[in-house]
Amino acid sequence: MHDETASWAMHILQAIAPLRAVAARSSVSISPPADQDIIALLEAADRIKPLQDSTSSDDQHDLMNIFGAIRGYAEMLYEDRTQLHPAIAETLPELLQVLSSPDAVIEGNESVIKNTNPPLVTSKSNEPGVILAVDDMPENRALVSRLLGKYKHTVVTAESGEEALELLGTLAVDVVLLDLMMPGIGGAEVLQRMKANEALRATPVVMISGRQDMDQIIACIQAGADDYLLKPFNPVLLQARIAAGIERKRWHDREAQYRLQLERSEKFIRATFGRYLSDDIVDEILASPEGLELGGDLREVTIMMSDIRGFTTLSEHLPPQQVVRLLNRYLGRMTDIIIEHNGTIDEFLGDAVLAVFGAPRKTDDDADRAVRCAIAMQAAMTEINAANEVDGLPCLKMALALNTGSVVAGNIGSERRAKYGFVGHAMNVTSRIEDAAAPDEILISDSTLAKLPKVYTVGERRSLSVKGIEEMVVVHPILGVSQ
Amino acid sequence: MSEGQGVVLLVEDNELNRDMLVRRLTRAGMALICAGDGETALQKMRDHKPALVLMDMNLPVKDGWTAVREARADMDISDIPIIALTAHAMDSDRNTALDAGCDEYATKPIDFPELLDKIQRLIR
Repeated sequence: MHDETASWAMHILQAIAPLRAVAARSSVSISPPADQDIIALLEAADRIKPLQDSTSSDDQHDLMNIFGAIRGYAEMLYEDRTQLHPAIAETLPELLQVLSSPDAVIEGNESVIKNTNPPLVTSKSNEPGVILAVDDMPENRALVSRLLGKYKHTVVTAESGEEALELLGTLAVDVVLLDLMMPGIGGAEVLQRMKANEALRATPVVMISGRQDMDQIIACIQAGADDYLLKPFNPVLLQARIAAGIERKRWHDREAQYRLQLERSEKFIRATFGRYLSDDIVDEILASPEGLELGGDLREVTIMMSDIRGFTTLSEHLPPQQVVRLLNRYLGRMTDIIIEHNGTIDEFLGDAVLAVFGAPRKTDDDADRAVRCAIAMQAAMTEINAANEVDGLPCLKMALALNTGSVVAGNIGSERRAKYGFVGHAMNVTSRIEDAAAPDEILISDSTLAKLPKVYTVGERRSLSVKGIEEMVVVHPILGVSQ
Repeated sequence: MSEGQGVVLLVEDNELNRDMLVRRLTRAGMALICAGDGETALQKMRDHKPALVLMDMNLPVKDGWTAVREARADMDISDIPIIALTAHAMDSDRNTALDAGCDEYATKPIDFPELLDKIQRLIR
């Protein structure tokens, strides 16, 4: 209350100064009854000074009476303004505005208003925020608190740069209102430290200073301050700049939030696809998530199915730990090879592997890569069996089938459990081919062969009947590759 | 407002405000007498039978609230309209003023045109 009255008193005195100056000019003649009003007004104003810093409630009460009296005289003068010297009449609107309320326009000097640049950024939003007001003068802190409190902002004050930096370390602040001239750590240095701090860099800063410090204000703007206000400042401009700062902060916060979400969804995509997609395909999905339809689409892919012949029988004669060891060695190696060839592993069914080439990303050499992958897988069996032999585990024989056809690819399942999977007749056909494949063989369908470059040695064709289709499926064993 | 309508008693202990209001009300055509405390105010009401009283409620010697209640209890002056002037623009004050027997209520800082309006309505 005392601080408010004190700052109001200061602004009233500022607003009276022009009237006093004009009235003192000999060239300005003042006729009755205005002369008496002006004398009474100036006399009343003279009584402000001795009281304005007093904290006693009687003096506060007297001050309010003085303000009331000054206002009465000013209103009388204003009523007679047409009979007044224009130089006097001119000073009245400003004075009346300041007198009408402590929250009215507080610019003591109209020319300051005219010279004030428009805010760099304005905002119509009146969203309240948390404002840190840093000023070494208690009356300025009180004034800012009162003005911004009207707009429902939460105002936290600091009386020094040191205190401000301490508060900024613990408090989530939307805008910092920073006085330039302070003892100790000044406004410019607080700004500099904020900009050097990753966590505070984005918090908007509005500098406050006198006109005489314009050079330093420009330096502060260059150093990253968002805006500035000149003292004595206009409450409307203050709110406009604070609102703009809050809006800027909100944008930044939303952006950060969005970035966090993206990071989370990237993690999700990596976790979901990383297990059965190569890293560069995952990278590609992340780079253009909208370019990749995971919701379900019909596409041509080359399907690979592999199986270890006789594994079920084999596993019945082995202790469970050895079965797991055998499977993990085999599946681990196969997974690496498939991913190296940019295949998508759809699932493991016991010893069987289902992989797809051409989804989620389609390329021209899907069938070619699939066959090369199959050859590499068969070649790896030698190594795997050598290791098995060392461990006293049985030798494995793998059959591999490849088929090219249309499948529906997409995230299949329920919300609780979904996976990128494939459905379609081509899957069944592949399964049929795989049944027909001999141990150590790579058997491919006619449709896959049609997609291959002429670099493979292909064995004698065979025909298979497949349940559900009339025509026979023609298959070819792959015997080797020339390059 | 002609002089035939009688004088207005202004009760205000703050000389600055009193001077200002006297000046303003005089210019508005009123004849004024003044008092600086509640006791003097009651005395002047009895002596001059003013057409209306403007009474600051925060007064020395005898405060405005007491003065108004005493005026209302005194048959000689109980029908003189009183406008309370107080610094607190709160509803409870308005009710206290009206309950104490005031006819109207004006808060400081005074909105002068509004005050003139209230004065004229009560004097008629």
